[in-house]
Amino acid sequence: MRSAIAIAKKEIHLYFTTPIAYVAFFASSFIGAWFFLSFTSEFQRRSMQFMQFQAPQFLERMNLTEMVAAPLIVNMGLVLAFVIPFLTMRLLAEERKQNTMELLMTAPLRSLDIVAGKFLAGLAILLVIVGIVAIFPYLLSIFGTSDSGSAIEWQTVGAGLLGLFLMGAAFMAIGLFISSLTDSQVVAALITFFVLLLTWVVSWKAGDLEGAGQEVLLYLSSVSHLVPFARGMVNLEDFVYFLSIIVLGLFLTHRSVEARRWA
Amino acid sequence: MIEVSGLTKRYRDLTAIEDLSFQVSKGEVLGFLGPNGSGKSTTMRILTGFQPATSGTAKVAGFDVFEKPLEVKRRVGYLPEIPPLYPDMTIKAYLRFVADLKGVPKKQMADEVDRVAQATHVDHVMDRLIANVSKGYKQRVGIAQALIGSPDILILDEPTVGLDPSQILEVRELIRSFKGKHTVILSTHIMQEVVATCDSVLVIARGRLRARDTLEALQEKHPGKSLEEIFLELTSDVRTEPADGKSQAA
Repeated sequence: MRSAIAIAKKEIHLYFTTPIAYVAFFASSFIGAWFFLSFTSEFQRRSMQFMQFQAPQFLERMNLTEMVAAPLIVNMGLVLAFVIPFLTMRLLAEERKQNTMELLMTAPLRSLDIVAGKFLAGLAILLVIVGIVAIFPYLLSIFGTSDSGSAIEWQTVGAGLLGLFLMGAAFMAIGLFISSLTDSQVVAALITFFVLLLTWVVSWKAGDLEGAGQEVLLYLSSVSHLVPFARGMVNLEDFVYFLSIIVLGLFLTHRSVEARRWA
Repeated sequence: MIEVSGLTKRYRDLTAIEDLSFQVSKGEVLGFLGPNGSGKSTTMRILTGFQPATSGTAKVAGFDVFEKPLEVKRRVGYLPEIPPLYPDMTIKAYLRFVADLKGVPKKQMADEVDRVAQATHVDHVMDRLIANVSKGYKQRVGIAQALIGSPDILILDEPTVGLDPSQILEVRELIRSFKGKHTVILSTHIMQEVVATCDSVLVIARGRLRARDTLEALQEKHPGKSLEEIFLELTSDVRTEPADGKSQAA
Protein backbone atom coordinates (compact mmCIF):
# COMPACT_ATOMS: atom_id res chain seq x y z
CA MET A 1 0.00 0.00 0.00
CA ARG A 2 2.83 2.36 0.81
CA SER A 3 4.34 1.73 -2.61
CA ALA A 4 1.02 2.50 -4.26
CA ILE A 5 0.86 5.79 -2.39
CA ALA A 6 4.49 6.51 -3.30
CA ILE A 7 3.62 6.04 -6.96
CA ALA A 8 0.46 8.13 -6.63
CA LYS A 9 2.49 10.92 -5.01
CA LYS A 10 5.05 10.78 -7.79
CA GLU A 11 2.38 10.96 -10.48
CA ILE A 12 0.67 13.91 -8.81
CA HIS A 13 4.06 15.58 -8.46
CA LEU A 14 4.66 15.07 -12.19
CA TYR A 15 1.17 16.32 -13.08
CA PHE A 16 2.07 19.60 -11.40
CA THR A 17 5.70 19.97 -12.44
CA THR A 18 4.63 19.52 -16.05
CA PRO A 19 1.83 21.81 -17.29
CA ILE A 20 -0.68 18.94 -17.74
CA ALA A 21 -2.68 19.49 -14.54
CA TYR A 22 -2.86 23.26 -14.99
CA VAL A 23 -3.99 22.95 -18.58
CA ALA A 24 -6.62 20.39 -17.59
CA PHE A 25 -7.91 22.66 -14.81
CA PHE A 26 -7.90 25.71 -17.05
CA ALA A 27 -9.70 23.94 -19.88
CA SER A 28 -12.37 22.50 -17.59
CA SER A 29 -13.01 25.77 -15.78
CA PHE A 30 -13.04 27.84 -18.98
CA ILE A 31 -15.37 25.56 -20.90
CA GLY A 32 -17.40 24.96 -17.73
CA ALA A 33 -17.82 28.72 -17.39
CA TRP A 34 -18.86 28.95 -21.03
CA PHE A 35 -21.59 26.34 -20.55
CA PHE A 36 -22.62 27.97 -17.30
CA LEU A 37 -23.01 31.38 -18.94
CA SER A 38 -25.05 30.04 -21.82
CA PHE A 39 -27.35 28.03 -19.55
CA THR A 40 -27.92 30.93 -17.17
CA SER A 41 -28.65 33.37 -19.99
CA GLU A 42 -31.03 30.84 -21.51
CA PHE A 43 -32.69 30.61 -18.13
CA GLN A 44 -32.92 34.38 -17.98
CA ARG A 45 -34.31 34.65 -21.51
CA ARG A 46 -37.02 32.11 -20.80
CA SER A 47 -38.06 33.61 -17.51
CA MET A 48 -38.38 37.02 -19.21
CA GLN A 49 -40.48 35.39 -21.89
CA PHE A 50 -42.81 33.72 -19.42
CA MET A 51 -43.12 36.94 -17.50
CA GLN A 52 -44.08 38.79 -20.66
CA PHE A 53 -46.70 36.20 -21.53
CA GLN A 54 -47.98 36.29 -17.99
CA ALA A 55 -47.53 32.57 -17.56
CA PRO A 56 -46.83 32.08 -13.86
CA GLN A 57 -47.55 28.33 -14.07
CA PHE A 58 -44.47 27.94 -16.29
CA LEU A 59 -42.47 30.39 -14.29
CA GLU A 60 -43.08 28.37 -11.14
CA ARG A 61 -41.80 25.20 -12.74
CA MET A 62 -38.50 26.75 -13.74
CA ASN A 63 -35.60 26.07 -11.44
CA LEU A 64 -31.89 26.59 -11.61
CA THR A 65 -30.98 23.03 -10.62
CA GLU A 66 -32.85 21.52 -13.49
CA MET A 67 -32.10 24.14 -16.11
CA VAL A 68 -28.53 25.10 -15.30
CA ALA A 69 -26.80 22.67 -12.95
CA ALA A 70 -28.03 19.42 -14.53
CA PRO A 71 -27.18 20.25 -18.16
CA LEU A 72 -23.88 21.73 -17.02
CA ILE A 73 -22.94 18.47 -15.34
CA VAL A 74 -23.93 16.37 -18.35
CA ASN A 75 -21.96 18.62 -20.70
CA MET A 76 -18.95 18.50 -18.41
CA GLY A 77 -19.06 14.75 -18.92
CA LEU A 78 -18.23 15.38 -22.55
CA VAL A 79 -15.42 17.72 -21.52
CA LEU A 80 -14.03 14.87 -19.43
CA ALA A 81 -13.93 12.70 -22.54
CA PHE A 82 -11.60 15.31 -24.04
CA VAL A 83 -9.49 16.02 -20.97
CA ILE A 84 -8.98 12.54 -19.54
CA PRO A 85 -7.05 11.07 -22.49
CA PHE A 86 -4.42 13.72 -21.83
CA LEU A 87 -4.32 12.87 -18.14
CA THR A 88 -3.95 9.14 -18.66
CA MET A 89 -1.81 8.98 -21.80
CA ARG A 90 1.52 9.22 -20.06
CA LEU A 91 0.75 7.13 -16.99
CA LEU A 92 2.18 3.85 -18.28
CA ALA A 93 3.31 4.66 -21.82
CA GLU A 94 5.92 7.09 -20.50
CA GLU A 95 7.32 4.60 -18.00
CA ARG A 96 7.98 2.24 -20.83
CA LYS A 97 9.37 4.85 -23.17
CA GLN A 98 11.93 6.18 -20.71
CA ASN A 99 12.86 2.76 -19.29
CA THR A 100 11.63 3.61 -15.82
CA MET A 101 9.40 0.55 -15.93
CA GLU A 102 12.61 -1.31 -15.15
CA LEU A 103 12.86 0.61 -11.88
CA LEU A 104 9.27 -0.12 -10.90
CA MET A 105 9.54 -3.77 -11.91
CA THR A 106 12.72 -4.38 -9.93
CA ALA A 107 11.62 -2.49 -6.82
CA PRO A 108 9.92 -4.54 -4.11
CA LEU A 109 6.35 -3.89 -5.18
CA ARG A 110 3.59 -5.72 -6.97
CA SER A 111 2.01 -4.84 -10.29
CA LEU A 112 -1.14 -4.09 -8.34
CA ASP A 113 0.67 -1.28 -6.49
CA ILE A 114 1.71 0.26 -9.79
CA VAL A 115 -1.81 0.16 -11.22
CA ALA A 116 -3.44 1.37 -8.00
CA GLY A 117 -0.95 4.22 -7.56
CA LYS A 118 -1.43 5.48 -11.09
CA PHE A 119 -5.21 5.27 -10.84
CA LEU A 120 -5.29 7.08 -7.50
CA ALA A 121 -3.22 9.93 -8.91
CA GLY A 122 -5.68 10.24 -11.80
CA LEU A 123 -8.59 10.28 -9.35
CA ALA A 124 -6.98 13.09 -7.37
CA ILE A 125 -6.83 15.28 -10.48
CA LEU A 126 -10.38 14.26 -11.39
CA LEU A 127 -11.58 15.24 -7.93
CA VAL A 128 -10.24 18.76 -8.47
CA ILE A 129 -12.02 18.99 -11.83
CA VAL A 130 -15.30 17.87 -10.26
CA GLY A 131 -14.63 20.45 -7.55
CA ILE A 132 -14.28 23.13 -10.23
CA VAL A 133 -17.64 22.08 -11.70
CA ALA A 134 -19.19 22.34 -8.23
CA ILE A 135 -18.20 26.00 -8.05
CA PHE A 136 -20.82 26.98 -10.64
CA PRO A 137 -23.93 25.74 -8.78
CA TYR A 138 -22.35 27.13 -5.62
CA LEU A 139 -22.28 30.57 -7.25
CA LEU A 140 -25.97 30.23 -8.05
CA SER A 141 -26.75 29.28 -4.48
CA ILE A 142 -25.01 32.43 -3.25
CA PHE A 143 -26.79 34.84 -5.55
CA GLY A 144 -30.07 33.07 -6.25
CA THR A 145 -33.00 32.37 -3.97
CA SER A 146 -36.15 30.35 -4.24
CA ASP A 147 -39.20 29.61 -2.14
CA SER A 148 -37.40 26.83 -0.34
CA GLY A 149 -34.46 29.10 0.46
CA SER A 150 -31.50 28.07 -1.66
CA ALA A 151 -31.74 28.36 -5.43
CA ILE A 152 -30.03 25.01 -5.76
CA GLU A 153 -31.21 21.60 -4.63
CA TRP A 154 -27.91 20.34 -3.34
CA GLN A 155 -29.08 16.73 -3.13
CA THR A 156 -29.73 16.68 -6.85
CA VAL A 157 -26.52 18.50 -7.69
CA GLY A 158 -24.58 16.24 -5.31
CA ALA A 159 -25.89 13.17 -7.11
CA GLY A 160 -24.90 14.75 -10.42
CA LEU A 161 -21.38 15.47 -9.22
CA LEU A 162 -21.09 11.93 -7.91
CA GLY A 163 -22.15 10.64 -11.32
CA LEU A 164 -19.64 12.91 -13.01
CA PHE A 165 -16.90 11.62 -10.74
CA LEU A 166 -17.85 8.00 -11.37
CA MET A 167 -17.89 8.56 -15.09
CA GLY A 168 -14.51 10.29 -14.92
CA ALA A 169 -13.13 7.37 -12.91
CA ALA A 170 -14.43 4.93 -15.50
CA PHE A 171 -12.82 7.03 -18.25
CA MET A 172 -9.56 7.04 -16.26
CA ALA A 173 -9.59 3.25 -16.00
CA ILE A 174 -10.10 2.95 -19.75
CA GLY A 175 -7.32 5.47 -20.43
CA LEU A 176 -4.95 3.76 -18.01
CA PHE A 177 -5.45 0.44 -19.74
CA ILE A 178 -4.86 1.93 -23.18
CA SER A 179 -1.74 3.67 -21.88
CA SER A 180 -0.40 0.28 -20.79
CA LEU A 181 -0.63 -1.08 -24.32
CA THR A 182 1.74 1.29 -26.09
CA ASP A 183 4.87 3.25 -25.43
CA SER A 184 3.65 6.19 -27.50
CA GLN A 185 1.72 8.79 -25.52
CA VAL A 186 0.12 10.25 -28.63
CA VAL A 187 -1.22 6.87 -29.69
CA ALA A 188 -2.51 6.26 -26.17
CA ALA A 189 -4.29 9.62 -26.10
CA LEU A 190 -5.84 9.20 -29.54
CA ILE A 191 -7.15 5.70 -28.91
CA THR A 192 -8.48 6.68 -25.49
CA PHE A 193 -10.20 9.71 -26.98
CA PHE A 194 -11.72 7.55 -29.70
CA VAL A 195 -13.06 5.02 -27.20
CA LEU A 196 -14.43 7.65 -24.80
CA LEU A 197 -16.12 9.59 -27.56
CA LEU A 198 -17.58 6.37 -28.89
CA THR A 199 -19.18 5.61 -25.53
CA TRP A 200 -20.67 9.09 -25.70
CA VAL A 201 -22.08 9.06 -29.23
CA VAL A 202 -23.21 5.44 -29.30
CA SER A 203 -26.57 6.50 -27.88
CA TRP A 204 -27.23 8.81 -30.84
CA LYS A 205 -27.92 5.78 -32.97
CA ALA A 206 -30.24 4.24 -30.38
CA GLY A 207 -33.20 6.25 -31.66
CA ASP A 208 -33.08 4.47 -35.02
CA LEU A 209 -33.27 1.04 -33.48
CA GLU A 210 -35.95 -0.83 -31.61
CA GLY A 211 -36.15 -3.46 -28.94
CA ALA A 212 -33.05 -5.25 -27.77
CA GLY A 213 -30.65 -3.40 -30.09
CA GLN A 214 -31.77 -0.07 -28.72
CA GLU A 215 -31.47 -1.24 -25.15
CA VAL A 216 -27.98 -2.58 -25.69
CA LEU A 217 -26.81 0.69 -27.25
CA LEU A 218 -28.38 2.71 -24.46
CA TYR A 219 -26.80 0.49 -21.87
CA LEU A 220 -23.36 0.82 -23.46
CA SER A 221 -23.61 4.58 -23.71
CA SER A 222 -21.88 6.44 -20.92
CA VAL A 223 -24.02 9.55 -21.22
CA SER A 224 -27.27 7.65 -20.74
CA HIS A 225 -25.93 6.55 -17.36
CA LEU A 226 -24.83 10.04 -16.39
CA VAL A 227 -28.16 11.72 -17.12
CA PRO A 228 -30.08 9.99 -14.30
CA PHE A 229 -27.37 11.08 -11.84
CA ALA A 230 -27.66 14.66 -13.08
CA ARG A 231 -31.43 14.51 -12.49
CA GLY A 232 -30.76 13.46 -8.93
CA MET A 233 -31.46 9.76 -9.31
CA VAL A 234 -28.85 7.38 -7.99
CA ASN A 235 -29.81 4.09 -9.63
CA LEU A 236 -28.06 0.86 -8.86
CA GLU A 237 -27.93 0.12 -12.56
CA ASP A 238 -25.90 3.24 -13.39
CA PHE A 239 -23.67 2.67 -10.41
CA VAL A 240 -22.96 -0.87 -11.57
CA TYR A 241 -22.24 0.34 -15.09
CA PHE A 242 -19.49 2.74 -14.04
CA LEU A 243 -18.13 0.48 -11.35
CA SER A 244 -17.84 -2.47 -13.71
CA ILE A 245 -15.97 -0.35 -16.26
CA ILE A 246 -13.57 0.74 -13.50
CA VAL A 247 -13.00 -2.81 -12.29
CA LEU A 248 -12.62 -4.18 -15.81
CA GLY A 249 -10.24 -1.39 -16.84
CA LEU A 250 -8.03 -1.84 -13.79
CA PHE A 251 -8.08 -5.61 -14.13
CA LEU A 252 -6.99 -5.41 -17.78
CA THR A 253 -4.29 -2.88 -16.90
CA HIS A 254 -3.00 -5.20 -14.23
CA ARG A 255 -2.96 -8.10 -16.69
CA SER A 256 -1.19 -5.97 -19.25
CA VAL A 257 1.49 -4.84 -16.79
CA GLU A 258 2.01 -8.42 -15.64
CA ALA A 259 2.23 -9.62 -19.23
CA ARG A 260 5.13 -7.22 -19.77
CA ARG A 261 7.10 -9.14 -17.21
CA TRP A 262 6.73 -12.25 -19.26
CA ALA A 263 7.33 -10.73 -22.66
CA MET B 1 24.91 -15.15 -2.26
CA ILE B 2 23.98 -15.67 -5.89
CA GLU B 3 23.53 -19.10 -7.38
CA VAL B 4 22.67 -19.53 -11.01
CA SER B 5 22.21 -22.92 -12.55
CA GLY B 6 21.28 -23.94 -16.06
CA LEU B 7 19.85 -20.51 -16.83
CA THR B 8 18.51 -20.18 -20.37
CA LYS B 9 16.62 -17.32 -21.98
CA ARG B 10 15.13 -17.56 -25.44
CA TYR B 11 13.28 -14.91 -27.35
CA ARG B 12 11.26 -16.59 -30.07
CA ASP B 13 14.04 -17.85 -32.36
CA LEU B 14 16.88 -16.17 -30.54
CA THR B 15 18.84 -17.60 -27.65
CA ALA B 16 20.17 -14.81 -25.45
CA ILE B 17 21.78 -16.99 -22.81
CA GLU B 18 22.16 -20.73 -22.70
CA ASP B 19 22.75 -23.05 -19.79
CA LEU B 20 24.53 -20.48 -17.69
CA SER B 21 25.68 -21.64 -14.26
CA PHE B 22 27.81 -19.73 -11.77
CA GLN B 23 27.98 -18.65 -8.16
CA VAL B 24 28.96 -15.45 -6.47
CA SER B 25 29.94 -15.52 -2.83
CA LYS B 26 29.15 -12.91 -0.22
CA GLY B 27 31.21 -9.76 -0.41
CA GLU B 28 32.67 -10.65 -3.78
CA VAL B 29 32.97 -8.03 -6.52
CA LEU B 30 32.47 -9.81 -9.80
CA GLY B 31 33.28 -8.31 -13.17
CA PHE B 32 30.84 -9.48 -15.79
CA LEU B 33 32.55 -9.38 -19.16
CA GLY B 34 31.38 -10.08 -22.65
CA PRO B 35 31.08 -8.47 -26.05
CA ASN B 36 27.97 -6.43 -26.86
CA GLY B 37 24.95 -8.66 -27.13
CA SER B 38 26.52 -11.59 -25.34
CA GLY B 39 23.71 -11.78 -22.78
CA LYS B 40 25.10 -9.69 -19.92
CA SER B 41 22.08 -7.43 -19.61
CA THR B 42 19.68 -10.32 -20.03
CA THR B 43 21.37 -12.22 -17.20
CA MET B 44 21.23 -9.15 -14.97
CA ARG B 45 17.58 -8.57 -15.77
CA ILE B 46 16.78 -12.13 -14.81
CA LEU B 47 18.71 -11.84 -11.54
CA THR B 48 16.80 -8.68 -10.62
CA GLY B 49 13.44 -10.24 -11.42
CA PHE B 50 12.72 -7.89 -14.30
CA GLN B 51 12.50 -10.74 -16.79
CA PRO B 52 11.79 -14.41 -16.31
CA ALA B 53 14.13 -17.07 -17.64
CA THR B 54 12.99 -19.69 -20.09
CA SER B 55 14.51 -22.44 -17.96
CA GLY B 56 17.00 -22.93 -15.18
CA THR B 57 17.02 -21.39 -11.73
CA ALA B 58 18.54 -18.35 -10.11
CA LYS B 59 18.80 -17.85 -6.38
CA VAL B 60 19.67 -14.51 -4.89
CA ALA B 61 20.34 -14.18 -1.16
CA GLY B 62 18.86 -17.65 -0.73
CA PHE B 63 15.56 -16.81 -2.46
CA ASP B 64 14.49 -18.13 -5.80
CA VAL B 65 14.01 -15.20 -8.18
CA PHE B 66 10.91 -16.74 -9.75
CA GLU B 67 9.23 -17.95 -6.60
CA LYS B 68 10.03 -15.15 -4.16
CA PRO B 69 10.63 -12.11 -6.38
CA LEU B 70 9.72 -9.57 -3.68
CA GLU B 71 12.24 -11.02 -1.21
CA VAL B 72 14.92 -10.84 -3.88
CA LYS B 73 13.99 -7.30 -4.91
CA ARG B 74 14.23 -6.11 -1.31
CA ARG B 75 17.86 -7.19 -1.24
CA VAL B 76 19.04 -6.06 -4.64
CA GLY B 77 20.03 -2.62 -5.85
CA TYR B 78 19.99 -2.46 -9.62
CA LEU B 79 21.35 0.01 -12.12
CA PRO B 80 19.95 -0.89 -15.55
CA GLU B 81 21.84 -0.26 -18.76
CA ILE B 82 19.84 2.94 -19.28
CA PRO B 83 19.45 4.69 -15.92
CA PRO B 84 15.72 4.68 -15.07
CA LEU B 85 15.23 8.40 -14.45
CA TYR B 86 12.28 10.78 -14.62
CA PRO B 87 13.49 13.88 -16.49
CA ASP B 88 10.77 16.07 -14.98
CA MET B 89 11.76 15.38 -11.38
CA THR B 90 14.51 16.97 -9.36
CA ILE B 91 17.27 14.65 -8.21
CA LYS B 92 16.11 14.99 -4.63
CA ALA B 93 12.46 14.22 -5.45
CA TYR B 94 13.57 11.27 -7.52
CA LEU B 95 15.78 9.76 -4.81
CA ARG B 96 13.03 10.26 -2.24
CA PHE B 97 10.61 8.49 -4.54
CA VAL B 98 12.95 5.51 -4.90
CA ALA B 99 13.49 5.44 -1.13
CA ASP B 100 9.72 5.36 -0.73
CA LEU B 101 9.42 2.50 -3.21
CA LYS B 102 12.08 0.53 -1.41
CA GLY B 103 10.34 1.02 1.89
CA VAL B 104 12.98 3.10 3.64
CA PRO B 105 11.37 4.24 6.94
CA LYS B 106 10.09 7.83 6.76
CA LYS B 107 12.33 9.00 9.59
CA GLN B 108 15.50 7.79 7.91
CA MET B 109 14.49 8.96 4.46
CA ALA B 110 16.32 12.30 4.48
CA ASP B 111 19.51 10.76 5.91
CA GLU B 112 19.47 7.90 3.44
CA VAL B 113 18.98 10.21 0.47
CA ASP B 114 21.83 12.42 1.71
CA ARG B 115 24.06 9.42 2.21
CA VAL B 116 23.70 8.05 -1.32
CA ALA B 117 23.90 11.54 -2.81
CA GLN B 118 27.19 12.15 -1.04
CA ALA B 119 28.56 8.76 -1.99
CA THR B 120 27.90 9.46 -5.66
CA HIS B 121 28.77 13.17 -5.49
CA VAL B 122 25.44 14.51 -6.62
CA ASP B 123 24.69 16.26 -3.33
CA HIS B 124 25.31 19.74 -4.74
CA VAL B 125 22.78 19.43 -7.59
CA MET B 126 19.90 17.93 -5.62
CA ASP B 127 17.40 20.61 -6.64
CA ARG B 128 18.10 20.54 -10.36
CA LEU B 129 15.75 18.80 -12.75
CA ILE B 130 17.17 15.52 -14.02
CA ALA B 131 16.44 16.68 -17.58
CA ASN B 132 18.88 19.55 -17.09
CA VAL B 133 21.94 17.76 -15.72
CA SER B 134 24.74 16.24 -17.75
CA LYS B 135 25.01 12.60 -18.72
CA GLY B 136 27.61 12.01 -16.01
CA TYR B 137 25.20 13.22 -13.34
CA LYS B 138 22.39 11.14 -14.76
CA GLN B 139 24.58 8.05 -14.58
CA ARG B 140 25.57 8.86 -11.01
CA VAL B 141 21.96 9.46 -9.97
CA GLY B 142 21.30 6.01 -11.42
CA ILE B 143 24.01 4.57 -9.18
CA ALA B 144 22.72 6.54 -6.19
CA GLN B 145 19.28 5.06 -6.77
CA ALA B 146 20.73 1.53 -6.67
CA LEU B 147 22.47 2.26 -3.35
CA ILE B 148 19.34 3.38 -1.52
CA GLY B 149 18.56 1.15 1.42
CA SER B 150 22.09 -0.37 1.31
CA PRO B 151 21.00 -3.59 -0.37
CA ASP B 152 23.19 -6.65 0.22
CA ILE B 153 23.56 -7.15 -3.49
CA LEU B 154 24.33 -4.59 -6.16
CA ILE B 155 23.84 -5.35 -9.80
CA LEU B 156 25.31 -2.61 -11.96
CA ASP B 157 25.00 -2.70 -15.72
CA GLU B 158 27.91 -0.70 -17.13
CA PRO B 159 28.12 1.76 -14.22
CA THR B 160 30.82 3.98 -15.71
CA VAL B 161 29.30 4.57 -19.13
CA GLY B 162 29.07 8.26 -19.96
CA LEU B 163 31.37 9.43 -17.19
CA ASP B 164 34.49 11.49 -17.70
CA PRO B 165 37.86 10.08 -16.57
CA SER B 166 37.83 11.66 -13.13
CA GLN B 167 34.26 10.54 -12.53
CA ILE B 168 35.19 7.03 -13.64
CA LEU B 169 37.94 6.98 -11.02
CA GLU B 170 35.48 8.17 -8.38
CA VAL B 171 32.94 5.51 -9.25
CA ARG B 172 35.62 2.82 -9.24
CA GLU B 173 36.72 4.05 -5.86
CA LEU B 174 33.12 3.82 -4.70
CA ILE B 175 32.74 0.28 -6.00
CA ARG B 176 36.01 -0.76 -4.37
CA SER B 177 34.64 0.51 -1.08
CA PHE B 178 31.76 -2.00 -1.39
CA LYS B 179 34.20 -4.89 -1.24
CA GLY B 180 33.36 -7.15 1.69
CA LYS B 181 30.19 -5.18 2.51
CA HIS B 182 28.09 -5.71 -0.59
CA THR B 183 28.07 -8.47 -3.14
CA VAL B 184 28.52 -6.75 -6.48
CA ILE B 185 28.08 -7.82 -10.06
CA LEU B 186 29.12 -5.20 -12.55
CA SER B 187 29.21 -5.49 -16.27
CA THR B 188 31.74 -3.67 -18.39
CA HIS B 189 33.81 -3.76 -21.55
CA ILE B 190 36.73 -2.01 -19.98
CA MET B 191 39.56 -4.22 -18.79
CA GLN B 192 41.14 -1.62 -16.54
CA GLU B 193 37.85 -1.39 -14.75
CA VAL B 194 37.96 -5.07 -13.94
CA VAL B 195 41.54 -4.83 -12.73
CA ALA B 196 40.74 -1.75 -10.69
CA THR B 197 37.57 -2.94 -9.01
CA CYS B 198 36.93 -6.65 -9.23
CA ASP B 199 38.08 -9.73 -7.34
CA SER B 200 37.05 -12.10 -10.05
CA VAL B 201 35.64 -12.21 -13.53
CA LEU B 202 33.00 -14.04 -15.44
CA VAL B 203 33.29 -14.00 -19.19
CA ILE B 204 30.37 -14.87 -21.41
CA ALA B 205 30.06 -14.82 -25.16
CA ARG B 206 27.03 -15.67 -27.27
CA GLY B 207 25.15 -16.49 -24.13
CA ARG B 208 27.57 -19.14 -22.95
CA LEU B 209 29.98 -19.17 -20.06
CA ARG B 210 33.60 -18.85 -21.21
CA ALA B 211 35.46 -18.31 -17.97
CA ARG B 212 34.76 -17.87 -14.28
CA ASP B 213 37.90 -17.22 -12.26
CA THR B 214 39.78 -14.86 -10.07
CA LEU B 215 41.94 -12.38 -11.93
CA GLU B 216 45.15 -14.10 -10.77
CA ALA B 217 44.01 -17.55 -11.81
CA LEU B 218 42.96 -16.28 -15.20
CA GLN B 219 46.37 -14.69 -15.65
CA GLU B 220 48.09 -17.94 -14.66
CA LYS B 221 46.11 -19.97 -17.16
CA HIS B 222 47.18 -17.69 -19.98
CA PRO B 223 50.75 -16.84 -19.12
CA GLY B 224 52.35 -13.86 -20.77
CA LYS B 225 49.12 -12.39 -22.09
CA SER B 226 47.37 -9.19 -21.14
CA LEU B 227 43.78 -9.28 -19.94
CA GLU B 228 42.66 -7.80 -23.25
CA GLU B 229 44.29 -10.61 -25.14
CA ILE B 230 42.78 -13.21 -22.84
CA PHE B 231 39.37 -11.64 -23.28
CA LEU B 232 39.71 -11.60 -27.07
CA GLU B 233 40.81 -15.20 -27.07
CA LEU B 234 37.92 -16.33 -24.88
CA THR B 235 35.36 -14.56 -27.00
CA SER B 236 37.11 -14.91 -30.35
CA ASP B 237 34.51 -16.97 -32.18
CA VAL B 238 31.94 -14.20 -31.76
CA ARG B 239 34.04 -11.60 -33.48
CA THR B 240 33.38 -13.20 -36.82
CA GLU B 241 29.64 -12.72 -36.50
CA PRO B 242 29.11 -9.22 -35.21
CA ALA B 243 25.69 -8.83 -36.82
CA ASP B 244 24.30 -11.72 -34.86
CA GLY B 245 25.81 -10.38 -31.68
CA LYS B 246 24.12 -7.04 -32.15
CA SER B 247 20.69 -8.44 -32.76
CA GLN B 248 20.91 -10.28 -29.46
CA ALA B 249 21.20 -7.03 -27.62
CA ALA B 250 17.74 -5.98 -28.69
